[in-house]
Amino acid sequence: MNATDVTRAVLDAARSALFVSSLGTATSALRRASNDGPHLYLGGSMGSALAAAIGVAVRCPERHVVCLLGDGEMLMGASTLWSLAGVRPSNLLAVVLCDGHYTITGGQPLGAPSAFAAVAAQLDLSSSVATTAREVTDAVHTLPRPALLEVRYDERAWPGPSPFVDPPLVRLRFEAEAGEVR
Amino acid sequence: MTAGLDQETWQAALAEAFAADGVESTAWVPDKRLQPIALGLRAHGLAPITLTREEECVGYACGHRAAGGRPLVLFQCSGLGNAMNAIGSLAVPYGFGFVMVLSMRGTLGESNPSQVPLGRATVPMLDSLGIQALSLRDGAEAAVVAAGACRLAYDARQVVAIILEPELDRR
Repeated sequence: MNATDVTRAVLDAARSALFVSSLGTATSALRRASNDGPHLYLGGSMGSALAAAIGVAVRCPERHVVCLLGDGEMLMGASTLWSLAGVRPSNLLAVVLCDGHYTITGGQPLGAPSAFAAVAAQLDLSSSVATTAREVTDAVHTLPRPALLEVRYDERAWPGPSPFVDPPLVRLRFEAEAGEVR
Repeated sequence: MTAGLDQETWQAALAEAFAADGVESTAWVPDKRLQPIALGLRAHGLAPITLTREEECVGYACGHRAAGGRPLVLFQCSGLGNAMNAIGSLAVPYGFGFVMVLSMRGTLGESNPSQVPLGRATVPMLDSLGIQALSLRDGAEAAVVAAGACRLAYDARQVVAIILEPELDRR
């Protein structure tokens, strides 16, 4: 399983959700898996994607929201897990793509263990670890929100599309997708 | 320093103006001078969401804005250092306008040496990202500054900072 396979499984299980992706692998995989759908792709601001997804979730309580995060991203923004546990939006799922490496910067290994689901559980968030597409699908369908799904995969194939997105275009498409523009 | 009537007045005026100007959600990292604003916002149904770091407040505001909202963030100016990357590589390039209320430390009357460098750097840091810093020194101007900042943020799509200067606390 690679990042695009994981993302495709998440998309198939949460078709109506609003998606936010962190820079690098997550944004590239979401572009590939969704055929460049109208999602909130981040091109920078490492560590801020989950906080942005909380903002989307609070603004759109009637919509499901999925945040796709790289594992390096989740480490840099780890404190946001505590904020997630405090805010507890009942419509938000965080999916951490865990390959143990900083992919976009050249494939350096992370200097810390992947323990995202275990930490989330300690914070009283529902969580699980998936290692197959079937487990991803089941978890997206069944985990009570707010939740964190840690997906471990070994195939570190770059998804393909550029993660260097055009910010105003991303914003305009996502605003339309979210349904209300002011 | 005790929270006197004048303080409560400008802080309440800010909260009232933000509510009147359509702010929908507030995120903050708590601070003593911001507390009366938070209480005022709570009275208007806008109880701040407490986040752990200032860049989370910026990320939260960007997501809320992307979904059509009108977010407000509050934190101490020292936290601007934490938030610079989120502002510079998310809020500004994507055009997510919102108001930041920054409680100023490190200038007039500061007693803590550790607060001084980031306080002195606050306006230059904002300027380096092209963000307007609106200094609020006179509590009587709180409502008009809040209203103008909301226009800049939500109509003109700018990140805009209201700097709560030490002079506001004069009795």
